[in-house]
Amino acid sequence: MERQSSVARTPLNSVLVQRRRRRSSSKNHRQSYRSCVGAASHLSYTPGLTTRRLTTSRRAPKSRTITEKVNPEQLSLLVRKEWQLSYVTPLCRFRHTRLKSYSRQLSAFLVADRQQGVAVEVEGPESSFKVSFCVVRGMAETDSDAETVLIQIHSKSWFAGQDEPQRLVWSGWLTCVNGSPDYLRSLPQDFVCLPLFCSSGAERLTSSVKSWFQRTFDCCFGPLEINSTNLQWLAALWTNCHPESNIQHLKLTWSLPVAPPLEVTCTVHPQDAWELWRSVREQPQEEKENGGGGGREEEGSVGIEEVTRFMKGLRSHFYRHFRLDLSAGGLKQVSTALGSAKHRGRIKISNSSYMSATLMLLTECALLKMPI
Amino acid sequence: MLESSFALFTGRLAKSLPLPMKNEESRPRIDLVVFIIHLTSELSFQSAEASLKYLDPGYFLGKVCFVVTNARNASVPAERLDAVRKLAASLHCPLLCAEDQTPDGVTNAAERLLTVLKVAAGLVPMATALYLSNLTRCTVPSDIEPAEL
Repeated sequence: MERQSSVARTPLNSVLVQRRRRRSSSKNHRQSYRSCVGAASHLSYTPGLTTRRLTTSRRAPKSRTITEKVNPEQLSLLVRKEWQLSYVTPLCRFRHTRLKSYSRQLSAFLVADRQQGVAVEVEGPESSFKVSFCVVRGMAETDSDAETVLIQIHSKSWFAGQDEPQRLVWSGWLTCVNGSPDYLRSLPQDFVCLPLFCSSGAERLTSSVKSWFQRTFDCCFGPLEINSTNLQWLAALWTNCHPESNIQHLKLTWSLPVAPPLEVTCTVHPQDAWELWRSVREQPQEEKENGGGGGREEEGSVGIEEVTRFMKGLRSHFYRHFRLDLSAGGLKQVSTALGSAKHRGRIKISNSSYMSATLMLLTECALLKMPI
Repeated sequence: MLESSFALFTGRLAKSLPLPMKNEESRPRIDLVVFIIHLTSELSFQSAEASLKYLDPGYFLGKVCFVVTNARNASVPAERLDAVRKLAASLHCPLLCAEDQTPDGVTNAAERLLTVLKVAAGLVPMATALYLSNLTRCTVPSDIEPAEL
């Protein structure tokens, strides 16, 4: 009997397939992110003695007057807009001092792309692109983080006068917030790590910008999804901010794998969500006090068990009313007044005060998903 | 139902254990218990874990197998596959990854299970279920387990 191949491919159109991870070769003297943090590749065995450390606790976000650190004008460009996320591998020979020349190169590249007839017409052949790169100072959390770079593409009609305003047709930014210091320090001198790429605008422009980056800095882009565990983290961290700034609602969307697929959206009143969250957080403190020993939990840190208990509480409440077990499906979307996050890799930050906590989580996702 | 040249294998599905009492007398001998876990749903893993308690310990000497589906799916948090691996490793059972979206994948998985089943049913000379399970048992590499310093 003929031996059939023992590997079956998943049809790509129905599910998102994870990139297959390569074994980290022992010839690489540069450490892969995974060996620093210790997240083992779960499709192949990573050699070496590393421990896997899931992020079991995160600092709870406090309202930070981020406007003290970041220019409010630039900040307003970043908030209240929905961004599509991707991860980027470290950029080779990227210099923050050469941004003007990068703007010129990118606009020339976009024009060349369009002349080849490949680019889609956003405005029609009469418009020109003006690209601007600028640095957004103050978003970095640690010393090893590189400064955030914001790219904007304006379009202006050829025949317009000097004073006619330019329309913003595309914007994107590369950032690294509180990236793992071991990994960042292990990169060779020439490389700049800005693993999180957020883009908003025409898809064709996004892919042109990405291909220019890939050509110029020898990097790779890839889609970044926010899996259900991270969506649960965001839901819990945002709910944690309720006493300081009203989240107004906690909206969660699950999708259940029935035919036809069922989407369940549950909107929780903010006060109820806060009460549940507070009761979940109070439990371990009570146990510790009764036990009379052990270290006190660090003020302002949130653990993964608390997040799990919180979500379990919400799901069991739903089950009690609707007899539908939501853990059979997956969490796909979380939104509050502070922002919204979708599983497909879309994020919107509506309130700049808690931005850094969200970005920290997303940077970590990007670093974990990077193939090197 | 899978037919081989000299034996007939019948498979039955159950959502959870324990099996209902009323069929107990007429039930044929069970050679292999396969836990199929869909990684995209948390409920699947939890119900498999809960069902384990109802299984007679004699089965764990090579007559239990874990099959996971959707291991490659990007939306599956990595912790879930690790948790299944740890569970399978602690019970000394094999863990198979299966592709359930295509008929080819289903056929491949069925063939691999058939191989395990033949040994578990005692149809392969010089091989017992316990011996095979020692060779095929799931292992968890040391970098996933927490290091003890």
